[in-house]
Parts: sequence; structure tokens; C-alpha cells
Amino acid sequence: MAIPYRDAFQFLADKRQEELVVTSAGNSSQMWWDVTKDADKTFYLDASMSMSTLLASGVAYGLPQAKVWAFMGDGAFIMNPAMLMVERDLNLSNLVHVLVSNRVYGGTSDLDLPNKPVTDYVAMAKSMGLERCWNFETLGALEDGFDAAFRGNDQGHSFVVLELDPMLAVDRDIEEPPMDGPEIKFRFGRYIEATYGAKVFTHQF
Amino acid sequence: MSTRKEVAQRVVEQAAACDISLVASLPDNWVAEVIREFDRDDRFRHVPVNREESAVGLCSGAFLSGTGSMAVMGASGLMTLIYAITKINYTYEIPLMILATLRGAPGDKAKFHVSNGLYFLPSLDAINLTYEIIDSADKIPLIKRAYDHSRTVSRPVVAIMTRDVLRGEA
Repeated sequence: MAIPYRDAFQFLADKRQEELVVTSAGNSSQMWWDVTKDADKTFYLDASMSMSTLLASGVAYGLPQAKVWAFMGDGAFIMNPAMLMVERDLNLSNLVHVLVSNRVYGGTSDLDLPNKPVTDYVAMAKSMGLERCWNFETLGALEDGFDAAFRGNDQGHSFVVLELDPMLAVDRDIEEPPMDGPEIKFRFGRYIEATYGAKVFTHQF
Repeated sequence: MSTRKEVAQRVVEQAAACDISLVASLPDNWVAEVIREFDRDDRFRHVPVNREESAVGLCSGAFLSGTGSMAVMGASGLMTLIYAITKINYTYEIPLMILATLRGAPGDKAKFHVSNGLYFLPSLDAINLTYEIIDSADKIPLIKRAYDHSRTVSRPVVAIMTRDVLRGEA
């Protein structure tokens, strides 16, 4: 079983409150932009090949009063799964690592991941000591478990696997976030400055 | 002449002067004492990472939270970062301070660093990655200068330390 790609993102967008969001490669960036049109509270980190959740960890570390969601496709995840060791050491209670699992390299034509049928991401996470792990394979399960997985992480870092269908062909042509890197940086950073009082750009010298 | 520990302490003081509070590292033998010194110092949260790319991600995110940070690694680790640096730090213009080693230079007896001797600095030049080589103890203050410059230009800057400096012999 798997959740339709758009349905999962629409559900999370509807549930989102003040969370900062970091997206991963093309698919999650495109879909998150499509369902939110958010240009300030989201850092669209395209094609980072596994760095989205560590970048989000840096944000979450410096802003303990913020809540941060970080999307990562499983194609990126398998390039650097030991990132979870670092995340476990940091154990940031304001960070939710959302693993978007569709068992394909979604940003590059949906070609299959190696070991596609059997890889157990939650087991991998648990082997590295993560205790707060969830795996959702239906929208109903995600709805039922959302609060525990996404809001109840005062005890530490959360790792949430969403088993999704590959993005539909009809969604392939949805708009990419229409911003270059520096604009994304400045909008996100200015939002953080205004909301949390952090000195991102005004304390550089 | 200084001890390795004294050199490490001077490096750490440079980081403190930059208001750096987060240090991500993956060790090279030459900077092991520097990393230990960061780990012992309560002014810093030291985070050992699984690969150098993780340090790039973590430090880049820290910048966006207004937190000063530094990534510490060997030359080999920096050689693995071409994509990460160009993708994150060049594309988004995010500053990043890296402390690295000048492996493969004359005096390095490790044959497995011959490739770094040949290609390390040319690789940095190829992507226009700014660096300062610290080849004498009196140049250790270049670390803060490099950090400040990374903020000025919104790009990564590397402070590259030689074997002799890190051993307290230069």
C-alpha cells in the first residue's frame, strides 16, 4: 500500500502551522510549492543529494524555539543513510525528518532504487538508535498518527517514513518554485530574522 | 616552537573570536588535536559527522539560523565536496567556513596523499574556492579573516593548515 503523492503533501500542507520546512530534490520541492505557494517559511533545497535534513538540522539547532520539517526522498536517503547517526547524536526535539519513500529516483524519471522491494527504512533508523520512528502507508494511518509523529516530539528527533506512490504523470509539469537560490536564501532568512529575532544577515561582520 | 595542543588552542580561540558555536568535524590525523580541543571546550557544540557532506549541510543550515559554524576536515574530505559546495553554497550564496589540511605537500610522507599533493589546490582553483594557506604560526589569525571574508562574499572560504604548523614546528 502507498499514499498518493499529492494527497500526502496536501494533507501535510493543511496541517502545517508555523513549521519551517526544508524540501529535498525536485519532486518534493515542486509538490510542496504547488500545494502551499510558500516562499518564506520554506527553503527549497533542490537536488542536494542527501543534505536536506542535515541543513534542516542546522536550522533547528540554531532555533530551538522553531519547529522544522525536513523532506528527503528515499533516492537521496540511500546515498547517505548514516546521516541518521549525526541526527541521532543531535537529537533535536524540534526536527521531523520526513522520508518520502516511493522506491524510485523520483527526480530523475522514476528509475528504480536498488534493493527496491525489501529495504526497511525504519529498521535502518532503529539500528542507529532512533526510537521515535513512524511508517505510514495509507492516508488514514497518516491522519491517525499525525499528532504523535509530527507534534509530539518533545522527547527528541522524529523520523517519519511516508510510503508514497510515485508522482503522477499529470503532476510532472507542475511549476517549480520560481526563485533562484539567493532569493530563497534571503526570503527564508528574512522570515527567520523577523519571526525569531535571529541575526542571519545583519550580524555578518 | 609550540606544542600541538598550543596550536590547537590558538585555532580554537580564532573560532571563538568569530562567534562560532557549532563545529562539525571528520578527522584527519593532522587536525585531531584541534578537534579534541573543540570537543573539550564548552563554548562549542562539537558534532562528529559521518561524511564531510553532512558538515556542509549542517553548517549551511546553521548559517540560516544565525549561528556561527565551522567544518573541520582533511584535504581528502574537502576533495569529496565539489558537488555539495557548488550546489548549496554557490547556488544559494551561503557562507561556509572550512578548516582543512594541506595533505600531499612536501613533508607529508603518506603515499596515499600523493593525489592530494597533485590535485588538491588545483581542484579548489578550478571551482574558484577561496582559500588561505596557513604555513606559519603567525598566520593563524587568518582563520578569523577567512571567516569574515566568507560572510562578506557569501561563499565558502577555506583555511588550509600545513603539517608543520599543526605540529608546532613552523
